[in-house]
Amino acid sequence: MTKYITLGLLLFSLPMSWFLTAENLVTDTSANEEKAKKLIQQVDDMYRSTASRATMTMRVQTPNYERSMTMESYTIGEEKMLIRILAPKKERGISTLKLDDEMWNFFPKINKTIKVPPSMMMGSWMGSDFTNDDLVKETSLTDDYALSLDESGEIYVITLIPRAQTVTVWDKIIIKVNKENYTPIEQAFYDEKNRKVRVMSYREPKQFGGVILPSVLEMVPLNKTGHKTLVLYDKLELNAEGVEEDLFTLRSLKRRLR
Amino acid sequence: MLVAKLAFRNIFRQRRRSLLTGLSMGGGYILLALTISLVEGSYNNIINIVTTDHTGHVQIHKENYLERPGIFKTLSRGSGIENLFANEPSVRSWAPRIYGVGLGYGDEKSAPLSIVGIDPVMERNTTSIFGKVRKGNYFSDPVNSDGYYSVMIGYGVADMLKLSIGDEIVLISSGADGSIANDIYRVGALIGSRDSYEKMTVYLPLEAAQDFFSMKGKVHEYAVMTSHPSEAWKLTAVLSAIIDDPLVTVSPWQVVEATFYKSMEADKQGNKVTMGIVVFLICIGVLNTVLMSVLERTKEFGVMLAVGTNRLMVMAMIILEIVTLGLLSCAIGFLLSLPLVYWFTHVGITMPQPIDMGGVIYDTMVGEMGAAIFIIPVVIIVGSAAAVSFIPAIRAALITPLDALSDR
Repeated sequence: MTKYITLGLLLFSLPMSWFLTAENLVTDTSANEEKAKKLIQQVDDMYRSTASRATMTMRVQTPNYERSMTMESYTIGEEKMLIRILAPKKERGISTLKLDDEMWNFFPKINKTIKVPPSMMMGSWMGSDFTNDDLVKETSLTDDYALSLDESGEIYVITLIPRAQTVTVWDKIIIKVNKENYTPIEQAFYDEKNRKVRVMSYREPKQFGGVILPSVLEMVPLNKTGHKTLVLYDKLELNAEGVEEDLFTLRSLKRRLR
Repeated sequence: MLVAKLAFRNIFRQRRRSLLTGLSMGGGYILLALTISLVEGSYNNIINIVTTDHTGHVQIHKENYLERPGIFKTLSRGSGIENLFANEPSVRSWAPRIYGVGLGYGDEKSAPLSIVGIDPVMERNTTSIFGKVRKGNYFSDPVNSDGYYSVMIGYGVADMLKLSIGDEIVLISSGADGSIANDIYRVGALIGSRDSYEKMTVYLPLEAAQDFFSMKGKVHEYAVMTSHPSEAWKLTAVLSAIIDDPLVTVSPWQVVEATFYKSMEADKQGNKVTMGIVVFLICIGVLNTVLMSVLERTKEFGVMLAVGTNRLMVMAMIILEIVTLGLLSCAIGFLLSLPLVYWFTHVGITMPQPIDMGGVIYDTMVGEMGAAIFIIPVVIIVGSAAAVSFIPAIRAALITPLDALSDR
């Protein structure tokens, strides 16, 4: 059973990664363990090693500018991801490839592939409020964070606290999940001074291939007023056919969009 | 009137001494006039070089762009500001600019550089950029067959990225809309020198830079030229009064180049010390002369006072003597220094080792011609001579006729 969860996957193939989180939660908490485990097992079977294909629109709002990009993304498992920007025209073809914890950007205009250096991991991805780190993060949340599960009404509240002697970006992450259908509701990120730094919320559940999942992700950095990034899933195909391993190579990254 | 007459005659009683005193004052005058002329001339020359190199006389920005530059602090082109330039007669020329930083790629190397977008025609009319092109052509072809804009790069960029004319340079930065700015350009010209201020700069045509940074119709700066650097404060006041927008800042070059301006002003203070030493030496000479002549004429003053001359008149006479001599010396000094200053202003000294100031060659030391240059030394010399002669004059006025005449 997979032990890792990536924030990136939470973002770009949220169904699978969400349930992986739930699975992790089970291994680390005693409360509701049996029940949760069972549920997760089911879900896990449903989503495991899913190849996904999605089309989405990203809207970035800042006090200075507002822009919108449409892009397609492909994932296999949680280690491999490829995103291509389709519009606007100026940025069409700019692609990001993630393999394990490495990441490359490809710029068709200048025909260059540039590896994102570790120092740039906390930098913004394509001008949005998501960081490169959000996409790539291979840090296993279960390895780096201790999980604890609480229930409050209709919601599961999972608190992630970094284990001693691990280097993490966040000092606490609180994830809220709908009890009934196991869809995520909100993720809040806290810094070392226990301040809530940013909140990602999941909204507008929609039917995607027989599963109901939130179709809108909203990232709001609380330390930057007026900034907000929305990701709207236009299409999401799970267990997508035609998404093969050879799509996730540097060679494939450099393939130009027509 | 009588006092003046007496004073004038007294000068010619001891001709040799008057001549020597006159020589020291006249020589001092020439020295001061030349120093002031050269100091002013050199500074004005440097100011000219700096302002025409890139600063301009007056700059206009959004808010505090000068202290804290930011990609979003922009002014819109085609706004009232540009009409204002057309309607303000003291604006000789102006140029819009965009600034940014980015990563440049050559064939195998990359380097951080500054990216400046300029309007090829307007910039050429405003600053000396055209003269700084060392190799290649100044924005010759707007867009080549591949659709690449021609750009100009500094020597540092060329060295680090191993680029020469005709090569491709790739620039990456972030645009004003959050996008990743990336594009290819063709190196059309090398500009400046290996240690000039633009050595790590890439100059893009304004249009290309606006496209690159996703800043259509926006600029970060207007550089404005008026008739002379000294008019900058005036134009600043005029422009900011008409623009009347708290979000738009108008700054003269003295503010834009504050460090340069302040160190220049400090340097000028240093020159004042040198001039002070010259004046001090003249004063000692003058004091000596006057003391001597007062001592020599003790009896004379005794008689004058004995026959009822006002003591103040005696004092006035002595001071007037030295003032007249000073004025005469200055007049002769003026006649002698005129051709000298003229020569320095129009020919100047060619320096054995030319100084390269940001790609602009500064090779001659020139003077400056102007009323102030000839009047200031007169005031300094005559003024200090008169001040110095006060002491002997008071002494002469306080002579007791009895003591003076009894030859004790």
